[in-house]
Amino acid sequence: MIHAEPMPAAVRLRGEMADIDVTGLVKRYGDVVAVDGLSFSVQKGEVFGMLGPNGAGKTTTLEIIEGLRVPDAGTVQVLGTDVIAHPSTVKERIGVQLQATALPEFTKVREAVELFAALYRRSRPVNEVIEEFNLEEKADTYTDKLSGGQMQRLSIALALINDPDLVFLDEPTTGLDPQARLNIWTVIEGIRKRGKTVVLTTHYMEEAERLCDRVAVIERGRIVALDTPRRLIVEHAPGTTIEFALVSGLDVETLEKLPGVDRVVADGRVSVTTRTPEAVLHALLDPQAPWAAAAPGAGGDGEGEGTIRDLLVRHGTLEDVFLSLTGRSLRE
Amino acid sequence: MNSLPAFRALTLNRVRASVRDRTALIFTLGLAVLFMIIFGLLFGGNGLSVSFDAVNNDSTAASTGYLKALRSVSGVSVDVKSHAAAFADLKNDSVTAVLVIPSGFGAAYAGQGPPQQVAIYQAGGGSSSTAIADAVVSNVTAGFAGRGHPSLTVSAPKVAEVNQVTEMDYMLPSMIAYIILFSGVNYVAIGLVEMRVKQVLRRFRATPVRSGTILAAQVVGGGLTVLLQIVVLVALGIWVFGAKNYGSWLLLIPPVVLGTASFVGIGFLITSVSRTSEAARALAAMITFPLMFLSGLFFPISSLPTVVQDIARILPLAWASDALHQVMNDGAGFSAIGTDCLVMAAWAVVTISVAAWRFRWD
Repeated sequence: MIHAEPMPAAVRLRGEMADIDVTGLVKRYGDVVAVDGLSFSVQKGEVFGMLGPNGAGKTTTLEIIEGLRVPDAGTVQVLGTDVIAHPSTVKERIGVQLQATALPEFTKVREAVELFAALYRRSRPVNEVIEEFNLEEKADTYTDKLSGGQMQRLSIALALINDPDLVFLDEPTTGLDPQARLNIWTVIEGIRKRGKTVVLTTHYMEEAERLCDRVAVIERGRIVALDTPRRLIVEHAPGTTIEFALVSGLDVETLEKLPGVDRVVADGRVSVTTRTPEAVLHALLDPQAPWAAAAPGAGGDGEGEGTIRDLLVRHGTLEDVFLSLTGRSLRE
Repeated sequence: MNSLPAFRALTLNRVRASVRDRTALIFTLGLAVLFMIIFGLLFGGNGLSVSFDAVNNDSTAASTGYLKALRSVSGVSVDVKSHAAAFADLKNDSVTAVLVIPSGFGAAYAGQGPPQQVAIYQAGGGSSSTAIADAVVSNVTAGFAGRGHPSLTVSAPKVAEVNQVTEMDYMLPSMIAYIILFSGVNYVAIGLVEMRVKQVLRRFRATPVRSGTILAAQVVGGGLTVLLQIVVLVALGIWVFGAKNYGSWLLLIPPVVLGTASFVGIGFLITSVSRTSEAARALAAMITFPLMFLSGLFFPISSLPTVVQDIARILPLAWASDALHQVMNDGAGFSAIGTDCLVMAAWAVVTISVAAWRFRWD
């Protein structure tokens, strides 16, 4: 079990509590351990990302913190309140967007906002929220007629209807086209600017890198790493990554022996991590190399044919962090 | 927090969504109206035919001849029955009127006894067919006895203490029972499970509203939708189909509420043994359709074989149907439907308790 890094001393000195404090969280479903001893805290004003493949336990963890599920073990403090003992108190002050859209049928956008406004003791004016999320034109449209992006905007709007201090977004951009995703990112950055704490789950690396102050990499119900995206990359995916399709005559063992290669991960494609990309590339593309000679069609018509294919050279990303930590690709 | 505004908002949302769900409405209110139209067309046309049951207390050649004369009028049919059977027919609306021929009819006809009067009993309501029956009997009697024969007359029609229940009068409470059955099972119970599957309930639970308030609002909202449909059905039944309620409107409330509650409970039981809401709907259809035919919705339950009657009487639809028919057709008071209400209440308590015990939020 890897614990979160300790709370910064400055924060402790000022006597502020973390918005979320989770220790030793366990949730089992029969024999399946969905959450296996998670501990972490989320600071005020932070955008905290939970990164991991489907089934890693992200949503279960989130739902326990939101007061929707009761853990088998562990404690959860949210905004200074024990959520297991006082879920309603916590729910009054948090905003939640579930992974599924989950709105009642035959309900128009304005009606949905009005409905959720009525479910809190204190809520923001309905029209103000509709305007803020650019939903005026769709106010009288049934929610099931909205596009994916509009639907997500509405569901984030509903999460903010009670002007919460802490907002949970479960995969806010899954299934959206790039345009709509950018739009939602802008929305989330807006929430952050207003000083709210955001916890989001995602399996998009770009999303975590762009939005999150800190990222917890979760696999099989455990946190395998927790840090800022930059530090995760420096620590777990330093240097440059060279990706390509594997050709015959070249295996992982051979690659690992090449001078300058730090790590090789084969997961469909091969990812070679190195701090000396020039030297490694030179060795890989050497026409005298056994794999170049062994390759069928060597010296034939196509450029580069028979050597290395689909070559891509790039800096490390959170994707590489995940690969290096788990040996698996995030998107399977 | 004060959960009343939340409860109101959730209930309103549920009612509004149900009313907007046209497909579901077609299967409840739409089918109920269709049944009324079909049965109205099949059985509603009275034409010019009148049928009598005759109670012959005389049994002389004279009375037999009198009935023969009556039968000879076109469009008239006469069956000789016992007193009890004849009045039962009148109550069931299977005859237009009952004639009672007094003993001494033959003697009076022969001029050997005191004058006698043929009594005619009709169900209340005074429709056109009863007036025709009245005229037919007067004419036949006068003709049979010979003009000015003082010894045989016809009494002024006496209204028997039964309501003349038309097919529409019978169908209206039947269709109320149909709506509470179908809406209770499908709308309220299976609808709630669909909200669970689609995570709508979970989304509501992510707000500070208490779980009980969320569930209660769904069930009450569904129940209000049932009431709305009944109001529309009754309005159509009375103003468009000419059905009548011979009883108290207020007395309809206990069977409607308890009936709906017991069908909601049964719906929950159906969903708790079904893996998907589609399976639940299929199972619900398998249970509800036969139930409709077994429970006196389209014909009185007494016309079924006794074994089938015994089975039907275990299930709450027969009790709901009986209570609604007793109130609307016979003008029964609360004491007459007390047992019905008790049985439905028992069903509701048992099924809803089991459902509450088995309920899962996800």
